[in-house]
Amino acid sequence: MDIQEKLGILSGAARYDASCASSGCGREGTAIRVGNTSQGGICHSWSDDGRCISLLKVLLSNDCRYDCAYCVNRSSNPVPRASFTAREVVDLTMEFYRRNYIEGLFLSSAVMKGPDQTMEDMVRVAEILRNEERFGGYIHLKVIPGSSPELVRRAGLAADRISVNIELPSAESLHRLAPQKRKESILEPMKLIGTEIGSSLVERTLSRKAPKFAPAGQSTQMIIGASPETDLQILRLSQGLYRKMNLKRVYYSAFVPVNDDNRLPVLATPPLLREHRLYQADWLLRFYGFSAEEILSDDAPDLDESFDPKTAWALRHPGFFPVEVNRADYNTLLRVPGIGPISAKRIVAARRFSVITPEGMKKIGVVMKRAKYFITCSGRSFEKPDREPARLRQRLLLGDGGEPAEQPRQLVLPGLLV
Amino acid sequence: MSAIAAIIAAEPESEGSVLSIRQDTLFEEGLFIRTDPIAAEALFARIKQRAPDVVYTIWYFMMAETEGLETSLLRYVALALVHGDRINGHLTHDDVKAVVSVARKAGREAHRMKGLLRFEQLRDGTWLARMEPDNNVIQPLAKHFSRRLRDQKWFILDVGRRSAAHWDGHELRFGTLEQFERPDLSDEEQQVQAMWRTFFSTIAIPERRNPRLQKSNMPAKYWKYLTEKQGE
Repeated sequence: MDIQEKLGILSGAARYDASCASSGCGREGTAIRVGNTSQGGICHSWSDDGRCISLLKVLLSNDCRYDCAYCVNRSSNPVPRASFTAREVVDLTMEFYRRNYIEGLFLSSAVMKGPDQTMEDMVRVAEILRNEERFGGYIHLKVIPGSSPELVRRAGLAADRISVNIELPSAESLHRLAPQKRKESILEPMKLIGTEIGSSLVERTLSRKAPKFAPAGQSTQMIIGASPETDLQILRLSQGLYRKMNLKRVYYSAFVPVNDDNRLPVLATPPLLREHRLYQADWLLRFYGFSAEEILSDDAPDLDESFDPKTAWALRHPGFFPVEVNRADYNTLLRVPGIGPISAKRIVAARRFSVITPEGMKKIGVVMKRAKYFITCSGRSFEKPDREPARLRQRLLLGDGGEPAEQPRQLVLPGLLV
Repeated sequence: MSAIAAIIAAEPESEGSVLSIRQDTLFEEGLFIRTDPIAAEALFARIKQRAPDVVYTIWYFMMAETEGLETSLLRYVALALVHGDRINGHLTHDDVKAVVSVARKAGREAHRMKGLLRFEQLRDGTWLARMEPDNNVIQPLAKHFSRRLRDQKWFILDVGRRSAAHWDGHELRFGTLEQFERPDLSDEEQQVQAMWRTFFSTIAIPERRNPRLQKSNMPAKYWKYLTEKQGE
């Protein structure tokens, strides 16, 4: 099989991995012959599904011994199988990098003979890139559940980011749909990675020469809509992963039915809107100071389809508003629909010079279409205080002229921002 | 910049001054200011000391080659000398807002081109990248690639502006060129390009096809030199 054919099979098999981030660390140095990483990450192209391409995302092999219900590469599927040699992946990465197609490599794999043998082969690719090619670009390695701690450590030393897929939002679903994977074999490497990242950071404060362990941090991914968990359960899980395991990112991947299996739901289309709402809620957890319990409750455990989760929160908390933009602190400004971290920072910076007027809010870049119902400028409100929630909901949905406002349906995988 | 230096030297507040490309009218006579590189350098040094971030804002503002905002730039510089870097937060001020927005736009394109630029290998082993950006972003781009593709010898061409950057492995040089024809590509180049196109088409999830989103992230004006978009 020639390399072009292999690439077709092994990139096609890797496309369901959601992560494409290439941000999070800066790597420079004289031991490096080619390549560096950029703090903010760089997108190099956008594929026909509109997702950004930043890394050469491939599997080392799709020849899997496991038979997970949701996975296109499962052993019982009659798909063409292929495996790269380490050298083939290294050469592809270097050739693509030299032409500026990519920021680096994202290598994952099906489980071939066993977790350790597979992980060893993957780590070797990264080590050849670093030691022989002296490659300074970005490397993301997937950790195979059940790999030995020693291999996890080697992976963390060679890669910028490492990730273990949590796969499904609960242990029961994992047991039902991926019976050969155990919860412990996923959580143990996650914990180990968290500990190693922590101790590497400590060592580096003592000596700048101490090795970096996964300097761009740890991420994970789960499939949404293949199992019965509520959005609240999912957000609680993510919250725990951020708070207790120190993860940088949790990725949500709308379930795409690729197999016929009676354990799986039958869907006409992937639940893209739900995935989008989960990403918005995830943003609230990481950048807006919200907790999962503020966003959802046991009485209403799923995200609203019509409103983004922040607007939904604002509608449930009329007593919090209106917020006075000339006085409110940063964290309060962040709770206003239409004001994000950038606008909130700009508001705080601008009011050191002068009082902010309604025109000033527009210049700063606040989305007034949403914000105007929730703020005052020096006591002046923009809209008649419309405290009746039902009417406010209506106006937010339909816009001012009674015309339906444009739905915020940007179904993007926000990959760049960590 | 030297015109701004002269005005600020004469009138530090410069509230009432207006700066534009010379155009005498019947009723007003402008003051003609000779280009004076030394005065411009001195002003830059002053800004650099007082407001280092503002130097970047001005640099990116210049890349946009926007006409008609000379007076805004003058007032922005005068304010920066008073307030320092904090001035970039004074977005409710019309002139600050105008200058910062233009600079931001150029900065965004410079960042975008860091991803979208494509190098091709020529017969003699050197690398060539062509582009036609809206803003004159060749300087920050060349700097970026001199750190990244540091063991390759390459050229970056801004086809529209006929300007070029050259990295020989050690030093970065800028110049202009009158005529240009792309030399032959190396034998290997075609094969690697074909592999990139294979990757590009198979990495998309068919069930999530979304050409509108693709275009809004990657406007069609950039496709001309994209390896993966040839023939579209």
